[in-house]
Amino acid sequence: MGKALKLLVAVLLLSTGNIFAQDANTLKIVIEPDPVVVEVGSELQLSAKLVNAQGQALPDTVLFFSRNGADLEVSREGFVKANKPGNYTVIAMRSGPREERVTRNFEIEVPYPPIAEVAFKQVPENVYAKTTIDLHVEVTDEMDLIREDPDVTFRSSNESVATVSHGKLLALKPGNVRVTATSESKSATLNLNIKANPAQTIEIANTETSIRTGDVITLNATAKAANGRTVDAPITYSFVAQPDDNLGQGAEGQINQKGKFVANVPGTFILSARSGDAVTDQVIRVRERNVAKDVELLGHAEVLDVHTSDLWVWEGVDGRDYAITGTWGANGDTYFWDVTDPTNMVAVDTVRVDARTVNDVKISEDGTIGVLTREGASNRKNGIVILDVSDPRNVSVISEYTDGLTGGVHNAFIYEDHVYAVNNGRRYDIINIEDPANPYTVGRFELDTPGHSIHDVWIEDGIAYSSNWKDGVVAVDIGSRNSELADAGGSPENPVMLGSYTYPSGRNHAAFPFKSESTGDFYVIAGDESFPYGLPTRNNPVAAAGWIHFIKFDGWGNPDEVARYQVPEAGTHNFWVVGDVLYVAYYNGGLRIVDISGELMGNLYDQGREIAKFEPTHADALVPNAPFTWGPQPYKGNIFMSDWNSGLWSIKLVDKPQQGTN
Amino acid sequence: MHFKRALQAILIGGLLSWGASDLFAQDYYLYVAAESDDQVHLVHFDGNSQQGSIAETIDVGTWPQENEGPHGLNISPDGNYWFVSIAHGMPYGSLWKYETGTNEYVDEVELGLFPATMDISSSTGLLYIVNFNLHGDMEPSTVSVVEPETMMRLDDIETGIMPHGSRISDDGTRQYHVSMMTDELIEIDTKMLEVSRRLKLGKDANNSAHNMHTGSEMNHSNMDHGDGDMDHSNMDHDSMEHNPVEKPTWADPHPTKPLVYIAGNGSDEILEVDTGKWEVTKRWSSGKAPYNLEVTHDGKLLVVTYKGEGATGIWDLESGQELAKIPNSRKVSHGVTISPDDKFAFISVEGIGGEPGSVDIINLETLQRVDVVETGKQAGGIIFWKMDR
Repeated sequence: MGKALKLLVAVLLLSTGNIFAQDANTLKIVIEPDPVVVEVGSELQLSAKLVNAQGQALPDTVLFFSRNGADLEVSREGFVKANKPGNYTVIAMRSGPREERVTRNFEIEVPYPPIAEVAFKQVPENVYAKTTIDLHVEVTDEMDLIREDPDVTFRSSNESVATVSHGKLLALKPGNVRVTATSESKSATLNLNIKANPAQTIEIANTETSIRTGDVITLNATAKAANGRTVDAPITYSFVAQPDDNLGQGAEGQINQKGKFVANVPGTFILSARSGDAVTDQVIRVRERNVAKDVELLGHAEVLDVHTSDLWVWEGVDGRDYAITGTWGANGDTYFWDVTDPTNMVAVDTVRVDARTVNDVKISEDGTIGVLTREGASNRKNGIVILDVSDPRNVSVISEYTDGLTGGVHNAFIYEDHVYAVNNGRRYDIINIEDPANPYTVGRFELDTPGHSIHDVWIEDGIAYSSNWKDGVVAVDIGSRNSELADAGGSPENPVMLGSYTYPSGRNHAAFPFKSESTGDFYVIAGDESFPYGLPTRNNPVAAAGWIHFIKFDGWGNPDEVARYQVPEAGTHNFWVVGDVLYVAYYNGGLRIVDISGELMGNLYDQGREIAKFEPTHADALVPNAPFTWGPQPYKGNIFMSDWNSGLWSIKLVDKPQQGTN
Repeated sequence: MHFKRALQAILIGGLLSWGASDLFAQDYYLYVAAESDDQVHLVHFDGNSQQGSIAETIDVGTWPQENEGPHGLNISPDGNYWFVSIAHGMPYGSLWKYETGTNEYVDEVELGLFPATMDISSSTGLLYIVNFNLHGDMEPSTVSVVEPETMMRLDDIETGIMPHGSRISDDGTRQYHVSMMTDELIEIDTKMLEVSRRLKLGKDANNSAHNMHTGSEMNHSNMDHGDGDMDHSNMDHDSMEHNPVEKPTWADPHPTKPLVYIAGNGSDEILEVDTGKWEVTKRWSSGKAPYNLEVTHDGKLLVVTYKGEGATGIWDLESGQELAKIPNSRKVSHGVTISPDDKFAFISVEGIGGEPGSVDIINLETLQRVDVVETGKQAGGIIFWKMDR
């Protein structure tokens, strides 16, 4: 015990080794200058001293670290270079063991340069009385940088002629007015001569006055002078609704300032086109779209012990119909089914590869080659596995290909003897599989945007449509077969980007081309993926989020997001289009089948365009009695779908009894 | 510092022995990541019964249908927080911070491609994490430096290709990691946030064409420049392709000596580097594909996972002898963490496909596996949290 006590005393003394050292809590770091202000584009050497409670400077070295090294560079020795205006926190540290370490966070201000100029932009040539225009002002500072979201105040020299409210100029009557825009100490003036509005009448060219919900009409209104001459006076559009169901009805429709109108509900609508005192109304009668059909359940190929991922259905070389389904977060299995009789889908083979997730499965156009994507391979080489599926009852592995794909492949597509495999990082690789036993990479496509990423790729007519999260949808010519859409000379070895479209949420997960049979318009349909409430578990079948975006391309450089299909309580996954019908797996919302014929505008969900929905559930599913639908494939008049919780399903649409379609 | 740490360990051991008949702390806690299930488990191990169990499972990540993968783990020096690297994002991975005990999410910060292993410097308090980037492009990656209190990313230090195994010297001044695809040990000055030294690990690194590209500089000494046309016949073109041999995957500095131990995953070797001489001083043939390793806190033993044969090796560092090779409960052995009292080593084992992962618990006195705790799929990152009585 005596030895133990001695040891304990020794240990206690040594373990409090700082007892005679400076208490770090009494030390502070003094920065000079104080405060620290650096002009943008300038440099400054900071100095720092470690000072004790008595105010004595200690010889210790103080190091500096910037929390935003791109906008404010700070060397370890305190040399500062300001690249962008703002307020930044910098760390000064005397390093050492935790009890001896002294840290100070301090601010460096990089003030915005003084404003140099305020200028009005996009001023219309003519401003007419009793119209409203947007005032566009650009504020530039002395570094020639355009100020984002500047504070601008407006003043009218004659409030009886024109007033300004929330950045809009309301022209009240003819006369001269000077509008002044001021930001900080700089101003700009805009002298306007408000002219008498020449519009005496408004003519509406539209003749379609009896439509269905979801049908888009364009008023085609024209302002006319007293002499019948067309004038350039701006026209504004509005409507009054008298819905058939007036019991707490929601939004009845919408009209945009291009004069396009769509109704969500049946009723009578009075559409108005106005310029100044000239107003013309048109009465529109809207009836039910009446496209709904019933769903007949054909079959369920149960997969109740593991999660099911993607599917592909094809006609085998023997003339029978087969489906392949992957598995997710499981044991690397892929299932093959004979679905010739969709009411009796029969498992005919299983292939197991070294993976935890076979996220995507694809079959070649001739039905002989299959490709599996791998994630969670035990050797961390992942990549793709190429299969001989010419006999789906006896599938064999031809080769594995991992070059450049070791981080995992989430999705892939087979097109004309090439596999387009999404590297789980930033690009897709294009792999020649003419000899499937000896695949090799012939090309790659990768964006050059900061932090770009990619999720999926789909190919039609020699154009690859990739979904790229915050970079949205991207179209690439990889050997276009459609000269109307693309003729950029692309090839698998030389993919050529055609166009792209991004949207703010950054959730772009899937993309599918759509040439409307009814209008000839060309869209790229983009789908989101979002899990604001996490992944469903056995006791918590949560909802996903996100919707379908309809992006109309009038040339690759002219995309316009015109419509959406948003089920409010669910979120999208994979989808497919045949004719003018959209089949979309909506995770917890099951399968939704949507009429996308005609011009598209607004939220199709509100417009009675949903043809049918089907929620695949099973009491013994991994998440019981809850759909989590992964992907659909319309095939030979039936619709197949994979459900994450319960396996493979087949349904078909049937007309509702006693109800036709328009 | 090292002496103090050793004595503190003695004190802990001494205090524990007073009033207790057993030799082990009663409760050991550690965290382990299940990479293919997007989960982190808190594992409890009872030192008396020598039985372990999952105490809690924490779901991590935000995109459960996408490939995310919690990979590396570490604990703040005060034990109040744990950190996990999420390997995949869009495309960048991230570092997440949780509170120990409650296991509540605190904050996160985006990093590089496939952030993996991390450690926190006892000198700067900063966290250094390698961006492993296993997507297949043979390009230099980075070590990200994060201020862990506010989770601000301070810097990215360019390093080798597929860097892995971030561990920091006991005094907190030097971070060590390996560059898997260039066969290098790389040392970072934790204060200046820059690479201070690089060491080629190949056997012929010092005198052959294999070392032509040391760091970023080409050594032309074996080339015959002669007159007129350059003669390339003496160049070793195979070596110029930098086909890695050692494929090192882990580096761990010795707690008291100027030594770093390295897992030569490709060459089935354990390498010892003398950081004073900055050269490889020992090479021991090991089990197949050593992957992670850790030196016991007393500096006597080295625990090595053999990924290629599903086993764990226990080495005596003084003699350079492997004392035991203990089969793991399944294939693909991954990480190792050792209790502060050096009584137990906890080994994460990935498994294959749909089988669960595991934590194998090895008694470092008897050199026997005493328990196996099954986890979610692909158990990987593992870190010891605390001992309680």
